[in-house]
Amino acid sequence: MIQVSELSKTFHDRKKGDIPAVRGISFTCRPGQVFGLLGRNGAGKTTTLRMLATILVPTGGTAKVAGFDILEKPAEVRRRIGYLSGDTKLYDRLTGRELLEYFGALAGMPRIAIAQRLRELTEPFQLGELLDKRVGRMSTGMKQRLSITRVVFHDPEVLIFDEPTAGLDVIGARTVLGLIQELKGKGRTVIFSTHIMTEAERICDEIAIIEQGRLLAEGPLESIRGRAASRSLEDVFVGVVTGAANGDR
Amino acid sequence: MTAKTFAVYRKEIIDALRDGRSVFAIFVFPFILYPAMIGFMSFIQSKNAEEARGLSLRVGMVGEAQIPGLADSMRAVPGVEAVHLAAAPARLEDANVDAALVVPEGIVDQVGRGEPAKVELLYKEADNRSSQAAERLQPVLDQVRRSLTVAWANSLGARAESPPAFRVEGRNVSSKNEMGRFFAALLIPYLLVFLVAAGSMHMAVDATTGEKERSTLETLLATAATRGELVLGKTLAVLTASLTGALTGIAGLWLTFNVIAPLFPGGGQRSMQFVIGPDKALLLLLTMIPAAVFISATLVAIGCFARGMREGQAYASYFYMATIFLGLGSFGQQNPAQSRFFIPILNTALLQREILTDTVNMMHALTAIGTTCALGAIMLLIAVRLFSNEAVLFRT
Repeated sequence: MIQVSELSKTFHDRKKGDIPAVRGISFTCRPGQVFGLLGRNGAGKTTTLRMLATILVPTGGTAKVAGFDILEKPAEVRRRIGYLSGDTKLYDRLTGRELLEYFGALAGMPRIAIAQRLRELTEPFQLGELLDKRVGRMSTGMKQRLSITRVVFHDPEVLIFDEPTAGLDVIGARTVLGLIQELKGKGRTVIFSTHIMTEAERICDEIAIIEQGRLLAEGPLESIRGRAASRSLEDVFVGVVTGAANGDR
Repeated sequence: MTAKTFAVYRKEIIDALRDGRSVFAIFVFPFILYPAMIGFMSFIQSKNAEEARGLSLRVGMVGEAQIPGLADSMRAVPGVEAVHLAAAPARLEDANVDAALVVPEGIVDQVGRGEPAKVELLYKEADNRSSQAAERLQPVLDQVRRSLTVAWANSLGARAESPPAFRVEGRNVSSKNEMGRFFAALLIPYLLVFLVAAGSMHMAVDATTGEKERSTLETLLATAATRGELVLGKTLAVLTASLTGALTGIAGLWLTFNVIAPLFPGGGQRSMQFVIGPDKALLLLLTMIPAAVFISATLVAIGCFARGMREGQAYASYFYMATIFLGLGSFGQQNPAQSRFFIPILNTALLQREILTDTVNMMHALTAIGTTCALGAIMLLIAVRLFSNEAVLFRT
């Protein structure tokens, strides 16, 4: 479970002064559900997810991830999450096996557990040919498979995906979305950010629309569609975001 | 130049000039660093000269009475205690002198008869005190030359067709072992510092700034490892690279001096023997470890601070140059003051020099190792703080 409470983040720039990126947002992601964080580029999605992954420290509010406060127990939080960002790369000079062993060790897994997990995941993730190949010599699809395996390798309770399909072709994107649905089926808590509405429509149970760091709408997908009297999430999204922009004016 | 080539050139220049920190590192920093380094070297050199002038030296004289005024001239040299010796010593240490001026018996008559004669100043090039004594006595040697020339001219007259046959010169009486040890003490500490810094520079920047540049940092920061664990792991890897660099460097030197140099008989092997026992090699390695920790932690901190590889490499190369200058600072130090052992890198080079010349001072050793360990720990803490600072990690 993820419980976000009045979470804020303000960056400071010497020339521009304070730049609020996230302004007091609150929401809850439940186990066995996929929570979609929708927003335009620069809306505050990545900053929010980075705070949940304890990569960034909030300047206000807090959140609990898998029962641990991100400010008080960041190491416990990191132990229980899997994090994948669309622009994240892998280490080109390591083989697939070395990479998975590395991240397994960083997650605190004992050597025996790492070896066992490698055996467990080899078939479902088609790792056979990847294990002894250097990442730098892999195709984009192979790297994607390896990235996904890395995220679930330590069997995390909570999964944080920041625009995970960015830069992927149709097949790659389908693989990632398939994995997310699979994780949901296993009762994991999944939060997923995107600006592609069709992806959100396909896999999300609940969504939140974020714009300029503020949460403009939040709730089950059907309820939000109903409130906007529209069947298309894209229309709902555009309506909410432009409505807010007009309101600001 | 084609228009396309020029377009590429222009774009690259604009790109470089708009990277403010790189501009600072490339164009401004050298104007701070180089004057600081040269100023430091000049300061060290002037201190060395001052210390050399302050040394009290003991010089032996054999047969000095044959040349009028010679003993008085010797005694008039500042900081020199001139003592009479009955005969030329087999070893300077046996006579408890830093150098010895040997005037052979009956030299004035010999010169008068036009027979070859030689006045020698025995000293040890491998011993700083002895070299200093030889330097201070140069004016006395000139005086001996003048006196003998006068004796020769008085006996043969101005019509003499052959020049005087006598020689007045210094003779290095250091053994091959002593010379080998002297050059080892001069070069090895400097080379070790140089090799450690060279071996770790690229890896430190690659392991830290490289994570930012290759977009692997975010994934790493989201793992269960603490920032301290991540930085410590990286620093240990850089430390391994730096010590490996030093070890392979030493192996290369050993191969050069013991296998390759003897193949060329005209080389330095005739005048010196370059031997380091396993006990000293071990001590050198042990004293190198704190310095390698300091260098590795500093380079990792630099890597954490830099935004990109270009900036990181620029800073790392300036640090590398600073280590070279500090290592060079150990050259020519006679009896370094205790305060020098508080300066990182320089203190290690000076301590290693003491190890190689069997002159280890325990206070010096404790100060050098303690200071370097403390600075290494401080740099490690700075690296962890920088690696935990999101403003540093995520700035573009």
